[in-house]
Amino acid sequence: MSDNRALRRAHVLANHILQSTPPSSNLSLTREVCLQYSPPELNESYGFDVKEMRKLLDGHNVVDRDWIYGLMMQSNLFNRKERGGKIFVSPDYNQTMEQQREITMKRIWYLLENGVFKGWLTETGPEAELRKLALLEVCGIYDHSVSIKVGVHFFLWGNAVKFFGTKRHHEKWLKNTEDYLVKGCFAMTELGHGSNVRGIETVTTYDPTTEEFVINTPCESAQKYWIGGAANHATHTIVFSQLHINGTNQGVHAFIAQIRDQDGNICPNIRIADCGHKIGLNGVDNGRIWFDNLRIPRENLLNAVADVSSDGKYVSSIKDPDQRFGAFMAPLTSGRVTIASSAIYSAKVGLAIAIRYSLSRRAFSVTANGPEVLLLDYPSHQRRLLPLLAKTYAMSFAANELKMIYVKRTPETNKAIHVVSSGFKAVLTWHNMHTLQECREAVGGQGVKTENLVGQLKGEFDVQTTFEGDNNVLMQQVSKALFAEYVSCKKRNKPFKGLGLEHMNSPRPVLPTQLTSSTLRCSQFQTNVFCLRERDLLERFTSEVAQLQGRGESREFSFLLSHQLAEDLGKAFTEKAILQTILDAEAKIPAGSVKDVLGLVRSMYALISLEEDPSLLRYGYLSQDNVGDVRREVSKLCGELRPHALALVTSFGIPDAFLSPIAFNWVEANAWSSV
Amino acid sequence: MASHSQVLVEEKSSVRILTLNRPSQLNALCLDMISRLLQLFLAYEEDPSVKLVILKGQGRAFCAGGDALPLVRDIVQGKWRLAANFVTYQYTLNYVLATYSKPQVSILNGIVMGGGAGLSIHGRFRIATENTVFAMPETALGLFPDVGASYFLSRLPGFFGEYVGLTGARLDGAEMLASGLATHFVPSTRLTALEEDLCKVGTSDPSFVSTILDAYTQHPHLKQKSAYLRQVLDVIDRCFSRRTVEEILSALERETTQEPNDWISTIIGALKKASPSSLKISLRSIREGRLQGVGECLIREYRMACHVFKGEISKDFVEGCRAILIDKDRNPKWEPRRLEDMKDGMVDKYFEKVEEEEGWEDLKLLPRNNLHASAMATPKL
Repeated sequence: MSDNRALRRAHVLANHILQSTPPSSNLSLTREVCLQYSPPELNESYGFDVKEMRKLLDGHNVVDRDWIYGLMMQSNLFNRKERGGKIFVSPDYNQTMEQQREITMKRIWYLLENGVFKGWLTETGPEAELRKLALLEVCGIYDHSVSIKVGVHFFLWGNAVKFFGTKRHHEKWLKNTEDYLVKGCFAMTELGHGSNVRGIETVTTYDPTTEEFVINTPCESAQKYWIGGAANHATHTIVFSQLHINGTNQGVHAFIAQIRDQDGNICPNIRIADCGHKIGLNGVDNGRIWFDNLRIPRENLLNAVADVSSDGKYVSSIKDPDQRFGAFMAPLTSGRVTIASSAIYSAKVGLAIAIRYSLSRRAFSVTANGPEVLLLDYPSHQRRLLPLLAKTYAMSFAANELKMIYVKRTPETNKAIHVVSSGFKAVLTWHNMHTLQECREAVGGQGVKTENLVGQLKGEFDVQTTFEGDNNVLMQQVSKALFAEYVSCKKRNKPFKGLGLEHMNSPRPVLPTQLTSSTLRCSQFQTNVFCLRERDLLERFTSEVAQLQGRGESREFSFLLSHQLAEDLGKAFTEKAILQTILDAEAKIPAGSVKDVLGLVRSMYALISLEEDPSLLRYGYLSQDNVGDVRREVSKLCGELRPHALALVTSFGIPDAFLSPIAFNWVEANAWSSV
Repeated sequence: MASHSQVLVEEKSSVRILTLNRPSQLNALCLDMISRLLQLFLAYEEDPSVKLVILKGQGRAFCAGGDALPLVRDIVQGKWRLAANFVTYQYTLNYVLATYSKPQVSILNGIVMGGGAGLSIHGRFRIATENTVFAMPETALGLFPDVGASYFLSRLPGFFGEYVGLTGARLDGAEMLASGLATHFVPSTRLTALEEDLCKVGTSDPSFVSTILDAYTQHPHLKQKSAYLRQVLDVIDRCFSRRTVEEILSALERETTQEPNDWISTIIGALKKASPSSLKISLRSIREGRLQGVGECLIREYRMACHVFKGEISKDFVEGCRAILIDKDRNPKWEPRRLEDMKDGMVDKYFEKVEEEEGWEDLKLLPRNNLHASAMATPKL
């Protein structure tokens, strides 16, 4: 053997020395012995109408989505490149931070010039809002930096002016914001305070002699931190600050401050520093801001809930400072809505790439000299990707439902939106991170190449689990809200209404002892398990907190001590809410192949959630035999979803150009001729 | 036999030269020609002795498109399914060409319109000359750019495809080359010599064909009034990138008020003359086509064509053919008359299956090994 190898090596070396010209194409690798790329479309068929499915998944504004996809593909600004005979558009993540920031801004100018942002702040109503959300989602499919930079400008700065401000602010700022004549940012987070907004240390006082507010950063921990847009581009900011009037702290209020002039020079009494290079999102210029007794006109207080008269009197329609704070925070819901849905689109990109690759890449033969096996024909590979695919489907409907309740919001639905958006934001963004990691591993080494996207997206989307509310904090808020609902209903002896808790008014569901395949796939059974788990955990959580309070602990401290149950409960609530959205979607469509496949997907979602949750065994909702049955059914469902895998990812409706080379002809994309 | 003489076949060692031979009709395609071409192309693909196929036209046209008059006759007689049958063959041929495993060269020495574009642009090599006149005039006929045009138009640089597809603007050889619709430009006097050289090709490796073509190709200057000059192209991109036909029109009108301009007025005039329903479905079709493979494009166009022929939402195709091809009064009475009367819901219909029609099915394309359409090697942007 070693002789052979030495001979071959010598032969190769001799060829190198003797051959002065490169081998002609006739001598190149012959086709017969080489692996050839075979497109998945050749061997897979669509068992249902993928266009119909795409309409269900995207939910709204499909034509508008296609328009902006096309806008990005047709411009040189979006880094078009040809790989393996196909066009791709994806940012060059190898650019420096500064270059990424500039190109991101240029991309936004281009979208602006083409009318993408028309009406984003000046048009109202559910239709206009949904269109805006759809366009923002597509921006995020191209590059998270683009959607975040646009999101900060319109959803944080713009919405703050719109919702915290009054007519005078609307007239002065909204149209100018829509046209990017002002570039806004949103200075809430400080070095010392993130989720705990009430604790921020920036202080604003009022000077009646000049009718100005004076904003000050009293200490280093009060510097504004992570302010998107602040480092390079923003001209204006919303400042969150404690408002001190005549020595009384009236709590957190929002002000408008100019931070740069039209030429981009930083204004006096403002200091700005860069947050530096990040693990992702380097197209967003996050900065830090210090205010050195900055004076702003009295009119710059966003006075929808409270105002200061010219002689310095504090007036507010909401007397309770807690409620006032709540009124301030309500508009921030939009951020959680957009994050939740963009997390799902990111998971879709990852899965579309990984599943398409697994339908064209082979590894190992199961028989001697037999053909190598397609990755997705391994049951283990199916088990890795297909449950994530099913979850992504279910959560896609959840994100759509969240958007619907958001755009149709009324003062009465604010609380429900807060709870649901908190739970969905946390669970959907965690799901995205988990999915991207699995997809990265599932495509092997190709996943570490930036151009193949799945690996890069991990860094780009990681921050979603933190911004607009740390996921863990949000999940605690879900449990706390459920606790409050429970206590209030019990105290007033009223039936449960809202938050999907109505099932608590009925008797506890009884689960069958024996779980057959058809029971496990039955929507009633699935609903029953999810309800039972939520109900039982809510009862356990409230009784544990009550017990602790009985021992003299404060309510807040009792919550802290019950964190394990709180976590289980938050998850149970959210997973049940997600299940309900896919069940509702399924119920709305006529009998046929789309409905049948959705049924499989929904069962997979329900059963994988059960399989992965130890609380079912821990609290005895399911027996040891039952969980064995669930596990077997998951495996069976993998086999049944396998033939639909390509159709299911095609239904995501993400154009080929927004996926990556390994999703298509990866042999040609890597051929010597393309070097 | 007549059908065979409408497509002339020459065999020169491993090269086959097909000539469209219906010069009095500017080589407009009838069903016999299409099925003959389909038969020949499929046979050549199987035949290992054939390495290259050349396609050209007799007379002053390469091909002026599909023969619309028989279609209109069928539709008027209530037999729109016959018209649908015609495009089934035509689109199948377009698909075979787009996924053809051997190189083909189309010599576009004259008029190339509509169906003629579908016959050539999907192929690997497209030779323009000083005699070439290219256009997709469908919106003026109450139709839409079909034959896979939503695939190749949408892949032109920027929003040039929307411009060409909506206005029916005529392009010359230089513009075709610049935009990528043509891969080469060869003066017509050199065509005979080029053909002789091509006939010596003994391999299906496209790089050999490319080498020969490169030796003949020239880079003609764009005319002074060309739509492909940078400053014109910028305006086209700015306007034709807009979301809707209405927004495109108002963007163009804004441009003329800022700087009065003949050629923008011409564009506006063309859009105002075209069928409103055609404009709207054409724009949607090109936009969807940009995100789809050539097969998907043809399947979608087939649905659209069936709806156009069936005439439930609009009968503009029959009216357009009457006004332009039959009565020649050039004064079609479109219905819906105005853009705003053509609602989104009506546009949506064209993209749906023809549900209520018995026995109607989506276009079924032949399974092809070479799924990767090589058309539209992207020109420099």
